[in-house]
Amino acid sequence: MSSIIPQISVGLSIASILLLIALGLAIIYGTMGVINLAHGEFVMLGAYAVWFLQTFLGIGLIAGLVLVFLLVGFVGWLVELTLIRRLYDRPLDTILATWGVGVILQQAVRLGAGAELRYVKMPDFLVNPVHVMGYEESAYRIFIFVLAVALLLATYFLIFRTEFGLRLRAVTQNRDIARCFGINAARIYSLTFAYGAGLAGVAGALVSPLKSVSPDMGTNYVVDAFMVVVVGGVQSLLGTVASSYLIGQANGVLAFLSNDTMAKAVVFLGMVVLIRLFPQGLFAMRLRRS
Amino acid sequence: MTRNRDAILRLVGYALFCAAILVVPLFVDNGYLLNKFARYLVFGILSLALSLSWGYAGILNLGQAVGFGLGSYCMAMALKLRTIPIQTGAGGLPDFMVWNNVQALPWFWVPFHSYAFAIAAGMAVPAVVAFLIGWFVFPARVSGVYVAIITLAMLVVINLVIIDQQPYTGGFNGITDLTTLKLFGIEFDAYSDATYYLAAITLSLCLFLGLAFVNSKTGLILQAIRDDETRVWYFGYNVAAYQNFVFCLSAAIAGFAGMLYTLVMEFASPTFLAVPISLSIVIWCAVGGRASLVGAALGAIVVTGVQGSLSDTPAFLDTWMLIMGGLFIVIVLFLPNGLISLIDLALGKRRRGRAATAAASVVAIERSESSRRQSAAR
Repeated sequence: MSSIIPQISVGLSIASILLLIALGLAIIYGTMGVINLAHGEFVMLGAYAVWFLQTFLGIGLIAGLVLVFLLVGFVGWLVELTLIRRLYDRPLDTILATWGVGVILQQAVRLGAGAELRYVKMPDFLVNPVHVMGYEESAYRIFIFVLAVALLLATYFLIFRTEFGLRLRAVTQNRDIARCFGINAARIYSLTFAYGAGLAGVAGALVSPLKSVSPDMGTNYVVDAFMVVVVGGVQSLLGTVASSYLIGQANGVLAFLSNDTMAKAVVFLGMVVLIRLFPQGLFAMRLRRS
Repeated sequence: MTRNRDAILRLVGYALFCAAILVVPLFVDNGYLLNKFARYLVFGILSLALSLSWGYAGILNLGQAVGFGLGSYCMAMALKLRTIPIQTGAGGLPDFMVWNNVQALPWFWVPFHSYAFAIAAGMAVPAVVAFLIGWFVFPARVSGVYVAIITLAMLVVINLVIIDQQPYTGGFNGITDLTTLKLFGIEFDAYSDATYYLAAITLSLCLFLGLAFVNSKTGLILQAIRDDETRVWYFGYNVAAYQNFVFCLSAAIAGFAGMLYTLVMEFASPTFLAVPISLSIVIWCAVGGRASLVGAALGAIVVTGVQGSLSDTPAFLDTWMLIMGGLFIVIVLFLPNGLISLIDLALGKRRRGRAATAAASVVAIERSESSRRQSAAR
């Protein structure tokens, strides 16, 4: 019995990272229908931004988070403005175009920052483990968990409690009617895309001390994040949360029972079954077939 | 009349393309280059296979590399078993099994002593795997993005399992140190004309058989499914069965391409069925023209060719990825039907919209249906 609590905390830790990465994707995909394959590269950009701030400007991870959010958000805003905007009538083609964006970002970083692995330092006060209910727990993982929850709440507030969110939901439900009511759909879309990209950047910044930073680190995340979003149900924040938790826990438990590789294989297989049984996701809200 | 002229023009185009790839060895007397060209052709076959399911049936298969990789492993297993004993463990056991303390040849390796079985398996195994996935997915009327995600997930699963089962599959390293294939007295050395011709002839055959297939009744129904799935259900067709059929066909062709790839590369590796190559196939297909078989094949050849030559040129060593990415975005934005649509533009043809093609194929089906009904009534 004593091994259950550490086990759950491993799962929670995986889940909070998944949630951080999937949150931005869920918003972009859920509201705009854009399949953003460059999402992993936004995560990577966030990680590099933190590394840059830390190494060259001496700005620590936590102090730099807002800056990273704005920076990567700005990149996302540019991408939307120049590219995504032209593809709203061809949603499947966004897969292709954003893949191209991903390739360019990856190579640009490789040229700018070098292909070698980079390391980001944890904030000093989070390095030592803390004791919670008699168990030793990594302080940084708790920090990530708290931040994931905080960002989730912020996103919830933004979408359901602000004027911007109201407009966003209107555009999501019916773009043309929303525009008839004087909502500037194009502006809403670019801000949403920028927000999603910014969240990805923050996610990248937060995972950077746990894993080494490299130009191709994003590729690993984007597939996982997509699974989370699709399993949870497009357009459902609750679904994204639930499926990150589910997938994180399943990953943790199965890795404990066998090994990491097989755990991942089994989890993916489980996701395929879930998508087949619940094509609209576990927590489908309103459905609009385009 | 114009329809006829179009069809003849297209046939001429296909024939010219095949002639062009078949005469290459007459001008190139360099084994290394031929090997490189053969690789591009194999990618062409792979891309053509995706065009069948994506361009003609609307199934965006992000796991196209599953068939490719499985085919490649089937060929590699057969070649590994025939590798001269020096490189092989005691009792004819492949070397990596010896290193992993495997005592006897696993049962599923045994039939690969026969080339005939291996070649059949190289197409059958991918087709069966595709059938199982398709059987699971299509009847639920899962479509669009969800098919893409499911196929991508299956790719990851199969890739992970192959890497994990190191004693039986060679794990990360794949299956290396292979003998060369000898069939009908021809030795298919990776750097020989024979291997190049094998790839070129396969691609040519695939092009013409594929053209016949997409213009058959089944092909028309598939195109109608791509354009309006629901409507085809209402006509009384079992859409899922048609989708699964083309999905399996595409996987089998990819499997054959995989076998050729093993011959060309002289090894099989889990990277052959990893996410990057699988996405690349989609890219080739989109660049060349997803709804044109020769376009898809050309897309693969052009993209990998440009990639190969740019990455070999010192000036572009660092920037070729940037160039490729940019080029790709431009094509997606301004040439949604791929490079092949440049030919249509050059010929001054009006661009036919998707609606027009949809209407055409549905009308064709309705017509054949009504004629069938009429003859039955008579």
